[in-house]
Amino acid sequence: MSTAAQRFLHDAAEKSADLMHREIIRRGMDSYDAAHLKGRARIKDWEAARQKCQEIKREAVNHLDRYLLQFEEKVTARGGHVFWAANGEEACAYVTNLATRLGVRTVVKSKSMVTEEIHLTPALEKAGIKVWETDLGEFIVQLREEPPYHIVTPAMHLNRGQIAKLFREKLDPAITTDDPVELMAVARRKLREAFFAAEMGISGANFLVADAGVIAISTNEGNGRLCTSVPRIHVVVTGIEKVIPRLEDLAVLWPVLATSGTGQGITTYGTLIGGPRRRGEADGPEEFHVVLVDNGRSQLLADAEQREVLHCIRCGACLNICPVFRHVGGHTYGTTYPGPIGSVLTPHLNGIKEFQHLSYASSLCGACTSVCPVKIDLHHHLLQNRRNAVSAGANKPSERWMFRAWRYAMLRPQSYELGGWAMRKALRLIYRLGLAGSAFDPMQVWNCYRAPVPLPVESFRAQWRKSVRSNGDSAT
Amino acid sequence: MPTEKVQTDNPSRERVLGRIRAGLRTAVVEPTALDRGRVIFEPVSDPLERFQRECVANLMECALTVDCAASARELAQVLQSLPAGEIFVQDDPSLRRLIEMAASAAVSGRPIRWSSQGAPAEASQATLTLAEVLIAQTGSVLVTAACGGRGASVVAPCHIIYAHVAQLVPNLATALGRISQQRIFDHNSFACVISGSSRTADIEKILVQGAHGPRRLVVILQSGS
Ligand code: SF4
Repeated sequence: MSTAAQRFLHDAAEKSADLMHREIIRRGMDSYDAAHLKGRARIKDWEAARQKCQEIKREAVNHLDRYLLQFEEKVTARGGHVFWAANGEEACAYVTNLATRLGVRTVVKSKSMVTEEIHLTPALEKAGIKVWETDLGEFIVQLREEPPYHIVTPAMHLNRGQIAKLFREKLDPAITTDDPVELMAVARRKLREAFFAAEMGISGANFLVADAGVIAISTNEGNGRLCTSVPRIHVVVTGIEKVIPRLEDLAVLWPVLATSGTGQGITTYGTLIGGPRRRGEADGPEEFHVVLVDNGRSQLLADAEQREVLHCIRCGACLNICPVFRHVGGHTYGTTYPGPIGSVLTPHLNGIKEFQHLSYASSLCGACTSVCPVKIDLHHHLLQNRRNAVSAGANKPSERWMFRAWRYAMLRPQSYELGGWAMRKALRLIYRLGLAGSAFDPMQVWNCYRAPVPLPVESFRAQWRKSVRSNGDSAT
Repeated sequence: MPTEKVQTDNPSRERVLGRIRAGLRTAVVEPTALDRGRVIFEPVSDPLERFQRECVANLMECALTVDCAASARELAQVLQSLPAGEIFVQDDPSLRRLIEMAASAAVSGRPIRWSSQGAPAEASQATLTLAEVLIAQTGSVLVTAACGGRGASVVAPCHIIYAHVAQLVPNLATALGRISQQRIFDHNSFACVISGSSRTADIEKILVQGAHGPRRLVVILQSGS
């Protein structure tokens, strides 16, 4: 078992038994569920909206080169820079060099999962640059020196008491309240200094609009607006798959993203930026850089089954609905992208050997697929990843042997019957000796947490035969 | 402020493009599109009524006025409710006139910074701008860099928009279509669809109004001339 898998199992067991954590998540998810349902009701034909979004993203991804080039041409014509990064290191090096070259000492960042994926903040800090996360949730997890818990609501695992305590310790010992309004005000004051001191603002992008040559960012707090308005340099770090063909596509994508993300009809600020400040404009950054990150994404294009994983708009809906996520929580995954989409994507980005266990962090119930606004067939992709891992020989030899034996027995009814008989006998003995759930119990994984399921006296086949005999032809 | 095409040192550009093109050569079987022509959003029959309703849902204030004088009175009222301090105003003849007309106690004595003088000060108490269009479907205002710049709609705790009913469009698609038709980005580096005051729900999913941007978003919506 990979170390990542061991850690996952350990943390999952711990988190599912942490009742306070479960209560916080349950409450958060309940309010999301209510808002999400209300939001969906505002859209007349939700299924048609999903289909439209799927088509938009499919068209974009299927012509990725063309749309990216169109985007690049527009941006550079307005004096912006577009940098293509094959991997995370290249992206980090570009941003860090830029910052050093332009004498940047402070950076304000608005939420961007791609920067988490490529570990941009540590790279900048290593170069002696102070980085402020400015989204409230991100700011909180940054103070806790933790990665985001969730791709949309990074601090949803904490209650107000914990956040108040954190602010007291890290920001101001005089804080006495745990009122969210007051806590936001504290963060606002602190970050306000950062906004107006920073030379560089770094943002992500929810979409890159090819025909208009603009980036689109959805935010509620206004921190993304400040990051992209006040500092003199604006750097956008984003994945190549974020491109969409037309500006008008946002007429569906924006409401659908807002509905799936938070249940809002539309996000407060839908910002479109096409380049640096123009002559005659009152303000805005003088430099505008877009870093297009590949980092394994182009490999997914070649995957006939899973190319559509690149359609993801990172709304977080699949995390929210996932029964596994709700129990084990976001940090347990140990990946940048948690939840169903993370379980599908991570083996592609970070290696199937190390992360194949995530394909099993699912009951395959399909809830994720049913909510995904771009209709990604998430649970089938998890199943495909299981198969891919096995074909790549990433599973344990013992598992291979077991399945070989099972296959053998399935093809030979008598040996199957014999096996069943032996298993019933053995389990009965083990249970009688009080060893259920111990290392001697083949059902240990199940029985160590639960009372053993009562064993039948006879096999299913024997019961069937008997019932056929007593019911005559009715059972045939 | 560069406006000419710039060169970026891009050693991996061809490699990434090559990988994309190689990947796209894989044939992918895709389900055929289902029925076309389904209506995704309920059509907006009465844009003004819808806009006002959505404003309430978005926690913004919308004051309907009949003429310029009434708008000026409305503006004076809003400004009176704010603490003393500078306000930032988009430098536009219609707003200069409005400010003049509202020159009551609220405005006189308050320093005014015009967008032609640069970005709004960090400590501005309010910003006053125009909008490009108003969107009924979502209760939004579309502003561009021409509306006083980028900071004008986000730096101060209160953002006031002076607009006319004729600027209402039924839905987002129309508004975005207009950006394309009018080639807004040929003259603007920035546009934003704003739907309410700045907010967060990052602590226990509890809605807090006024995060980093304005706590109040006021639309003075004039129907007459
Ligand atoms: S996979 Fe679908 S539901 Fe999950 S985050 Fe991406 S778009 Fe949202």
